[in-house]
Amino acid sequence: MKREHPLKLALALAAGLLFLSPALYSIVLSFQTADSYYRGGFDFTLGNYRNAVGFYHFARYLLNSVIVSSLVTLLSIGFSTMAAFAFARFRFRGGDFLFGAVVATLMIPSHISLIPNYLTLAKAGLLDSYAGLVLPAISNGFAAFFLRQYIRGIPKALDEAAYMDGATPLKVLWRVIVPLARPAILSMALYVFITEWNNYIWPLVAIGKEDLYTLQIGLARLYHNNPGEGLIDWPLVMAASTLTLLPVLAGFLLVERHLVRGITMGAVK
Amino acid sequence: MSGISLRNIRKSYPGGPQVLHGISLDIEPGEFIVIVGPSGCGKSTLLRLIAGLEACEEGDIIIGGKRANDLAPQDRDIAMIFQNYALYPHMSVRENIAFGLELRGMKKAERHARAEAVAKTLQLEAYLDRKPGALSGGQRQRVAMGRAMARSSSTFLMDEPLSNLDNALRVAMRTEIKELHRQLGATIIYVTHDQTEALSLADRIAVLKDGHLLQFDTPSAIYDRPANRFVAGFLGTPPMNFLAGDQLPDMPGAAGNIVGLRPEALRASFTREAGASLPAKIVLSEMVGADMILHCETPAGRVTAMAPRRDFTAGQEQVWLGYDAAQALFFEAGTGARI
Ligand SMILES: Nc1ncnc2c1ncn2[C@@H]1O[C@H](COP(=O)(O)OP(=O)(O)OP(=O)(O)O)[C@@H](O)[C@H]1O
Ligand SMILES: [Mg+2]
Repeated sequence: MKREHPLKLALALAAGLLFLSPALYSIVLSFQTADSYYRGGFDFTLGNYRNAVGFYHFARYLLNSVIVSSLVTLLSIGFSTMAAFAFARFRFRGGDFLFGAVVATLMIPSHISLIPNYLTLAKAGLLDSYAGLVLPAISNGFAAFFLRQYIRGIPKALDEAAYMDGATPLKVLWRVIVPLARPAILSMALYVFITEWNNYIWPLVAIGKEDLYTLQIGLARLYHNNPGEGLIDWPLVMAASTLTLLPVLAGFLLVERHLVRGITMGAVK
Repeated sequence: MSGISLRNIRKSYPGGPQVLHGISLDIEPGEFIVIVGPSGCGKSTLLRLIAGLEACEEGDIIIGGKRANDLAPQDRDIAMIFQNYALYPHMSVRENIAFGLELRGMKKAERHARAEAVAKTLQLEAYLDRKPGALSGGQRQRVAMGRAMARSSSTFLMDEPLSNLDNALRVAMRTEIKELHRQLGATIIYVTHDQTEALSLADRIAVLKDGHLLQFDTPSAIYDRPANRFVAGFLGTPPMNFLAGDQLPDMPGAAGNIVGLRPEALRASFTREAGASLPAKIVLSEMVGADMILHCETPAGRVTAMAPRRDFTAGQEQVWLGYDAAQALFFEAGTGARI
């Protein structure tokens, strides 16, 4: 490994701290009482977390967010991978047109589909349910497009070798394509997860029951809780924000190891 | 064990010119067929058609008596060694070899034992746990070989399987393939650029050029009675000499035709012998083991001859090349067909 120049290292460190500072600041704030925040000074407390989890039901919101984001990630990556494999490897009537249609969906701003989606789900009676949160998000044109491009980079000879070895198309997908596209699939999964985790508008529209609130909705509603005249309880908001942030961070650290561990190619001379 | 018949196969790639122009071949069950031909003549394409990896727009592929045109590759019971290996980069050598067995539902212990046995015959035991990325070209080629050998298929397609091996290994592997063929009684279709391989392995050789089948016959028939000038020149090293018949003395029936003489059919001597001969001047000589290859200038044009090295003294330039009309082949000047 190359040794970096100390000055470069110091610069990188400074830049890193700069980017981290808002997050660090909010974490520090979250351990402070509202009183001391507004008066100046610092009184350490875990009360904000206790409050957020207990009184304001953030444990429930966290669970909802985890369920919804995980389901969306699993399903949309599953479907996108299959679609990507089909688009990358099979020539079929209308295939190019269908792929064009998938790409075209990338150009539609998501807010335009808000009302139609709402009406569809209302008709299906799926508002105020996990299904209502998950279903609209599982067709992901961007993931399908991105994964198709990646799969096209995998030598087709590998598929052919697997067919000669007796594999069916699904086996080829599962045993050859998916392992080789793992870095791309994991990156995409992480991206989908974070996007869904941060999704605010759709849950706001689709959910009325407090039981089904996701973290983002819960977080937004915290702003209405005042410690005093027109004041926002910032330490409480920051504690809730930290709760919102941590799972994503943990997830990233978990997946990152796999992202970096690239696949050594060597299939084809 | 199953025979393969190709009937009038035509193939062109989308947007490209026609690659195969009506190939018909009848391959007996258990036969060892070698396909030779210049680069780009359609050898790999032909194998891919038999494998089911490409579809042909015309003609029938009949495997084991049944029309197989619409059969998926995984349903044809054919093992294939790819020209570029196509090893699974995310699997170890052991898994690569055992993958086909796994797909057929063989138990783990059993298939790993089988993979190890195959690896042993291919001298790959030391690399069983490595990924293909950490192997040399020759080792990868042997893994590709092992992957095909592990399954006892009825038919093997091999696309230049030995092209990257050193000479000793190549000879050893050649024996191994021959042995595999004998043991399994499998039908083997083998593509190679190497003439020695073609002549020594094949029951019959198919010579392809520009997507046309020029000749399909036993090695000795192809060598002794080539159908045309191209086949005559393609097989045999050094290649056959083609001389204008009018320039050759004492060659009845040669006038107006092209005369083909293999280098070993020419006797080089420093004195003029009785019988037909050509005066020649050596411009270049190459040592190939016990023999010398002599490149000579003669009144009939450039000629290559072979001579035992012990008969040959350096520094001498003038030789006589004796020949026998009985060993000569005659080709039509225009079409190149043998007369
Ligand atoms: N996928 C493809 N699309 C279009 N043209 C192709 C494709 N594959 C091969 N060809 C063309 O078809 C012809 C025959 O190719 P093929 O690979 O069968 O040759 P080959 O005899 O195996 O040559 P080599 O000895 O170099 O391997 C070539 O002209 C090649 O350019
Ligand atoms: Mg080829």
